[in-house]
Amino acid sequence: MVATPVRTPAELALAARYPAERTLLPGTADVIAIRDAAFGGVEKSGLPHRRVEDWKYTDLRARLKTFPPAAGAGDVARVRIAAPAVEGDKARRLVIANGRYRPELSDLEDLEPGLSIFSLATALEAGDVAAVAALKLDDAIASNTAVALNTAFMTDGLVIGVANGVEIERPVELVHIAEGASAASTAVRHLVTVGKGARLTLIETIESLDKVAHHSNVMTVVDVGDGAKVDHIRLQLEPDEAVSMTSLVAKIGREANFDTFNAALGAGLARAQIFAEFAGRDSQAGFRGITMLGGRRHADTTLSLVHGAENCQSRELYKAVIDGEARSAFAGRIAVPAHAQKTDARMMTASLLLSEEAEADAKPELEIFADDVQCGHGATCGAIDEDLLFYLLSRGIPKAEAESMLILAFLGEAIDEIQNQAVHDALIHRVEGWLKTRAA
Amino acid sequence: MLEIKNLHARIGDREILKGLTLTVKPGEVHAIMGPNGAGKSTLSYILAGKDDYEVTEGEVLLNGASILDLEPNERSVAGLFLAFQYPIEIPGVATMTFLKAALNAHRKAKGEGELTTPEFMKLVKGVAEKLNITSDMLKRPVNVGFSGGEKKRAEIMQMALLQPSICILDETDSGLDIDALKVVSEGVNALRSPDRAFVVITHYQRLLDHIVPDIVHVLSDGRIVRTGGPELALDLEKNGYAAYVANAAA
Repeated sequence: MVATPVRTPAELALAARYPAERTLLPGTADVIAIRDAAFGGVEKSGLPHRRVEDWKYTDLRARLKTFPPAAGAGDVARVRIAAPAVEGDKARRLVIANGRYRPELSDLEDLEPGLSIFSLATALEAGDVAAVAALKLDDAIASNTAVALNTAFMTDGLVIGVANGVEIERPVELVHIAEGASAASTAVRHLVTVGKGARLTLIETIESLDKVAHHSNVMTVVDVGDGAKVDHIRLQLEPDEAVSMTSLVAKIGREANFDTFNAALGAGLARAQIFAEFAGRDSQAGFRGITMLGGRRHADTTLSLVHGAENCQSRELYKAVIDGEARSAFAGRIAVPAHAQKTDARMMTASLLLSEEAEADAKPELEIFADDVQCGHGATCGAIDEDLLFYLLSRGIPKAEAESMLILAFLGEAIDEIQNQAVHDALIHRVEGWLKTRAA
Repeated sequence: MLEIKNLHARIGDREILKGLTLTVKPGEVHAIMGPNGAGKSTLSYILAGKDDYEVTEGEVLLNGASILDLEPNERSVAGLFLAFQYPIEIPGVATMTFLKAALNAHRKAKGEGELTTPEFMKLVKGVAEKLNITSDMLKRPVNVGFSGGEKKRAEIMQMALLQPSICILDETDSGLDIDALKVVSEGVNALRSPDRAFVVITHYQRLLDHIVPDIVHVLSDGRIVRTGGPELALDLEKNGYAAYVANAAA
């Protein structure tokens, strides 16, 4: 007798959607084949649950109640007048509304020589060889559920290129906006190639104009060339009703610099995944982020870093502040293969629990096969330090304000690593807003 | 100003204060001396409102009103200031942000508006200068990387900014070299006024050469066992606490 697994409503919705949409989604036959393979994997295994190690803390099968229909075009006029998430950052804003790149809402003026920006949908429709090739990923990444769903359903995204040796001063900001009064889902893929010795600051914001249960799935694939420097910052700002999945895939070349920061400030269910690899020696990378949770929200940060080349240095720092009955999970895995001597990696995660019911799970993992390495990891979890609090109170500062000062100080260690001042300030402003709401 | 009446307090099962009574009038400087473990620091923490301690009996009145039910911040704005024996380092909280929050909380309690940034800067710099606190120290997070002496000076700076009516100095002399002791003492003496009182808790007579008390108390085993003038401190310096410890044990 063969046991047939019971499908959840979300799995049923997925199974109904994909066959109906696969040929309508952008791309030639090659792309459809890639989508089919990705969806086939998800359909076969179903949504991952807590017995699947990578999803241990985020039981997608249990938590994903539905899988809403694909987003329509949305009300572009509303998107046009939406206030920017980051004020005054002078960034080149590229708007992706409801999963569609909107050049007419984007800032494409005075494009720097050496910077190219195209729509992924257009590239895939045209059978652009490089774009199609860039959809193919290592099995370990491709088979990840959030990635596979992105591959299956992606509607658009940006193909961004920076030519060798070109330093782009002005940050490029990918503005993801969901618009619409009924729940819908979007899947967007960006392909970013930064050439040898080139520089780019890439900012991503993900938000929704409506407090509805949108599902967003944003995936960004970054190729950091030899000697290149890339700074990536993502602000995830969706309302509590939303489900947010992000994946960052980064391949870091030789003597390169890569930094990524993820601010998980929104969505009722959020999963931020990072798959990074040092592909060339003598490089440096920083992986940092903050999570702020209240109510019954759940946020998961899952990092997988392959220190695949000699003499590379990485720093990982993730901080979470958890209130109410919320739950934060961090899983960080660093793999050092035998040839990656002189690897220097330090991974730290710290959680501040603000209520009795708050929960933090941390799972740092080091997998080291080289013998001449410096690798460390640490995880802490605790409440606000009573002695620090007493000191502030003893000077007349009211409790709520004193707690806010200490929470901000806790997060500051990570936030202060953000090099872009406007994004740094915008984030501090958001954090202060969160703290004010909490204190009220 | 400050009236402590028959105060009993314990931490866990251990009774530390066993009926302490003390009255401090405006303008007075009281010194509380005593051997290790007499309850000196406990007294300062209880007055400031640290909730590790349980008050089982007695009362504490500040300007006639009981403070035992007040939160630590309410006691502060009511005019009580504790200069900590071990001022705490708070990484990530800028000194100026901290001072501004404290000062504004006090102003708000008095029904005054917040200071503008230039007003605030001027006020802090004026006070800091007198205590040899450099602008570099003010730029650091609260007490972070400060030497023992710098921390104590920073405490006195906070005291000068907040203008309390009763100042509790908990072993402010510990960890200070002679020069720092002088600076700190001058800072305290500059704050002496007819409407402000001090309770100076110390092991040693040395501090009292600089901050001359009106009244000296000996605290032993949770009670005030002797009260006298400044000469009592000299006597203690010469003969030690043995007589009082024996007394208390008897």
